[in-house]
Amino acid sequence: MNDQNPVPPQSSPQIPPVIPATGPRRPGDDPSERVAIPHVIGAIEAILRQPRRLMFQLRQPGAGRLIAGMVFVSVVCALIYGVVVGTFTGGTQLWAAPVKIAVGMMISALICLPSLYIFTCLSGSQARLVEVGGLLAGLLMLMTILLIGFAPVAWIFSQSTDSPVWMGALHLIFWFIATIFGLRFLETGFSHSNARSLAGFHTWVVIFLLVAIQMTTALRPILGKADTFLPKEKQFFLAHWGDCIDGKNGEQNRGHGD
Amino acid sequence: MRSPFQKLNLHEISVLLRGEPEPIAAWTGQWKAQRLALHVVTIVVGAGLYGAAMGWWRDPQQALYVAIKFPLIILLTTIGNGLLNAMLAPLLGLNVPLRQSFQAILVSFAITATILGAFSPLIAFLVWNAPPMSLEAGSGTTYSIIKLVHVAVITFAGTMGNTRLFQLLVRLGGNRLAARRVLLAWLAGNLFLGSQLSWILRPFIGSPSLPVQFFRTTALHGNFYENVFQSLWQVFQFN
Repeated sequence: MNDQNPVPPQSSPQIPPVIPATGPRRPGDDPSERVAIPHVIGAIEAILRQPRRLMFQLRQPGAGRLIAGMVFVSVVCALIYGVVVGTFTGGTQLWAAPVKIAVGMMISALICLPSLYIFTCLSGSQARLVEVGGLLAGLLMLMTILLIGFAPVAWIFSQSTDSPVWMGALHLIFWFIATIFGLRFLETGFSHSNARSLAGFHTWVVIFLLVAIQMTTALRPILGKADTFLPKEKQFFLAHWGDCIDGKNGEQNRGHGD
Repeated sequence: MRSPFQKLNLHEISVLLRGEPEPIAAWTGQWKAQRLALHVVTIVVGAGLYGAAMGWWRDPQQALYVAIKFPLIILLTTIGNGLLNAMLAPLLGLNVPLRQSFQAILVSFAITATILGAFSPLIAFLVWNAPPMSLEAGSGTTYSIIKLVHVAVITFAGTMGNTRLFQLLVRLGGNRLAARRVLLAWLAGNLFLGSQLSWILRPFIGSPSLPVQFFRTTALHGNFYENVFQSLWQVFQFN
């Protein structure tokens, strides 16, 4: 825990730390933020308690290992939450829901990464692709560990309702809250990368939310049963939600629908 | 050889009720099994006594059931939301570890349970003076009065517990804004889960037309919010 990553001279000065007298503090200004993150548990701890430390470490050489660790944690947490989602229906959904949630989340992130990088550059940011990818991995990790926090509540509700519409709405609420915290982390990282404006970032947030929500429809059913692993019919998420509420997507019970 | 109750320093309960931030903040910083046991015992006894008084109107057996269920809801809510609350605190500006956030919430519930326990003789007196629960009483003024008294007492106890929790959070974080944010987030989470657990573990006061049961046979059919939504839907349809 006491070893420190080499600090590139252009990004932050050597010891003693320089804390600007005016303006916001930058990641790495505080010496404790320069302490290397040795393992994934440290990354989880850092994203919750010292997000600026994580942002600083993502700018250092060799950040790829840290990013890989964060992606690994995201996948594991998504799989665990997926099992909780799968307990609503049981059977094949116990493995299908975790797989769909983890894969859907990773595909959504991969689809949105290029546009995030483009918006980052257009905003005048100096962040490299690795750093942008690291911030996105941070978003996913924070989002999924928060979902683990919601998992006991989700499980209680999944055992006491038969309505996939209610459970779907509940999971969406939990996902939305977790995503807000994840996006807040990403925005802080974005604003520390010399971006002149946050307009591009806010546009990307809308894109990311739409992609992630559409992914839940593209990979349906995540709740409920179906004859096939993936849907036969293509649908936009608003139309699908409308069908679910109207009861057109099968019966309104845990055996069918979304 | 000291008895288990001598080992639990009951004097600490008065410190909790006064909400002395320094000692309480110091307690939450340590993971001491004895103190943890004191808080759990306080919740079990305080909320249990109140639950017994609540269920007594229906039947002594109902009193026993509610005496078990009431503390159970509090403890399950604390455990169920423990991890989430520990994650939300640093994200909302209060850097406290899991054990400290867990103990802070347990302390606030212990305060609430102590107040509830103190009110349980009053509730028992009220129930003793009330006419026996019958279909007439169940739909009449007595039932409404008893329900409203429960709402008032539980609201008062909950408000006091949360006021003390807020003072503790300010002490731990040194920032009123962050403390308020964390308190609201914890409250929202605990109310959300607590309402559903109460729904699953119903009945509490009981109904003269239904048998005395620990769980209703429909305990896991539907959820609290679904029921509220359906009630609202009916109201709008009638109007």
